[in-house]
Amino acid sequence: MAVPVASPSAEEKTPSYVAIPPAKPFQSTLRYSSNRKTIYDRNLNRTKTTEISLASFAYLFNTLITYHHSKSSSVSEIEHRLNRAGYPIGIKMLDLLLYRQPPRSATRPTRIVELLQFIHGTLWRALFSRSADALEKSTTKNNEYMIIDNEPLVNTYISIPKEMSQLNCAAFVGGIIEGMCDAAGFSTDAVSVHSAGEGDEMWPGKTIFLVRFKESVVEREEAIKASGG
Amino acid sequence: MATKAARIGEEVWKSRVDKINAEVVTLTYGTIVAQLCRDLTVPNTINKTDYNAVNKELDRMGYNMGLRLIEDFLAKTGTGQCSNFRETAEMISKVGFKVFINITPNVSNWSKDSDSFHLVFEENPLADFVELPDDGRAQDELWYSNILCGVIRGAMEMVQMQIEARFVSDVLRGDDTTEMRVTLIRIIEDEMPPDDE
Amino acid sequence: MAWWVVFALLIINKAGGLIYNRTFAPGLQKLDSNDYLILAGTFHGIHAISRSINPAPLAERLPGNRKPPTTGIESLESSHFRLTCFQAPTGVKFLLVTSPEQPNTDVVVRRCYELYGDFVMKNPFYSMEMPIRVEKFDRALGGYLVRP
Repeated sequence: MAVPVASPSAEEKTPSYVAIPPAKPFQSTLRYSSNRKTIYDRNLNRTKTTEISLASFAYLFNTLITYHHSKSSSVSEIEHRLNRAGYPIGIKMLDLLLYRQPPRSATRPTRIVELLQFIHGTLWRALFSRSADALEKSTTKNNEYMIIDNEPLVNTYISIPKEMSQLNCAAFVGGIIEGMCDAAGFSTDAVSVHSAGEGDEMWPGKTIFLVRFKESVVEREEAIKASGG
Repeated sequence: MATKAARIGEEVWKSRVDKINAEVVTLTYGTIVAQLCRDLTVPNTINKTDYNAVNKELDRMGYNMGLRLIEDFLAKTGTGQCSNFRETAEMISKVGFKVFINITPNVSNWSKDSDSFHLVFEENPLADFVELPDDGRAQDELWYSNILCGVIRGAMEMVQMQIEARFVSDVLRGDDTTEMRVTLIRIIEDEMPPDDE
Repeated sequence: MAWWVVFALLIINKAGGLIYNRTFAPGLQKLDSNDYLILAGTFHGIHAISRSINPAPLAERLPGNRKPPTTGIESLESSHFRLTCFQAPTGVKFLLVTSPEQPNTDVVVRRCYELYGDFVMKNPFYSMEMPIRVEKFDRALGGYLVRP
């Protein structure tokens, strides 16, 4: 392709340049149904309140667990894989839930506490129709926060066998939280899942989601606070 | 018969089924399919998904789901054995799908000897807001909701019916409808254990 | 009401193997685990025989329909206990041993089937046809069948 170069007779101020060839427009090869709207024309809020049986979720979740179980050699690897499976969902949920906030009061979470409250309330309510049970800050480390769910909905029908008692399948939800935090600009080191139900008569399935933010996030938070934000 | 099944489905759905937001299910299923597309690649390539293998794996996963889901279904709805394949079709479409994913696909296109029918899906919660990858192959090779075929196959096998279920069209592929053909292969009659003289 | 007691629940898989056996109240003779296995296998065989020698006339079979299902033993009663057997269309059998005065045993056994469908079938770590060792199933059954 010919490379246009500014001729000497052009204005002196124009530097010589090499034009980048215009990008070929993206040609989609997808076929679309003739009698239906594409997914881009459908209203995003249409499926906000549709319900499906918990059983269907349970069977699909089980399929996911079994699939990763067969490819893992340790309990922590299964949890890690489940975490990675939930990660992209968290990223998508952030956009979707912010989009669905009522227009007048919608704000972007810019502080750690706002983000965690968004997760504890809005995200939990969108996924599980109720808010999480508690939100706590660690007393020993300033970058650790805990979200507590007494009875994670995803674990409703799952009983962990004794030889795998460290496994908590809510690592999937942990991945969703991690994805959401990272996408919101609050990078995390990890979101780990701990079963705190041992010996708890009322809530044997109590789960703690431990969110560990990166140092840079905490520093930024301090800086905002210091400048009166 | 049609209205009786619809009534059972509606009633069980309203009163005996725990519910969850449909979007969670859509997202979880999407995760599963995406994971398979990443893991199952054509041999000797790095990123080229083997869509046929994905279809087979989805069917196998669905089969294992179906084996278990049938007990759940029978326990919740209290149904007994269906007397013929037409009744089975009504049960699957009006009760089975209703109780699990809250849809009632239409039964149509019965074959001449009543051993095969089509399920027409007006809506498919598993594929809400899904678009197949634009790599020139996905739309020709992948059946996104193939897990449903496996589920029906597994569930039917546990009640002594051997069937084959295949998608014949899918709106994700640009077709006008999403249709699955279900064919009865044979009924597995009870066999007495062979005489051991 | 004190004599409405559920003594035990046994679950037998399609092949006649015992996959669940639990006693909820005292009152039955103690058997060791091997005896329970033999009991389950024997009942499975007898149930199969009883299905073929059913003296009631078969319901009419319409053309194009399947053979109408025959049922096997549904209940066995003595002065000390009643054994209710529920066989699901998939072949799994639920044997409920109760006191003879216990009413609604069919409702009770169906509820057990429902709990099975919920906590055993939906457990990713349970392999089909294997002995049931599922904590939530045990807890749910205990809550339902044990009189406080």
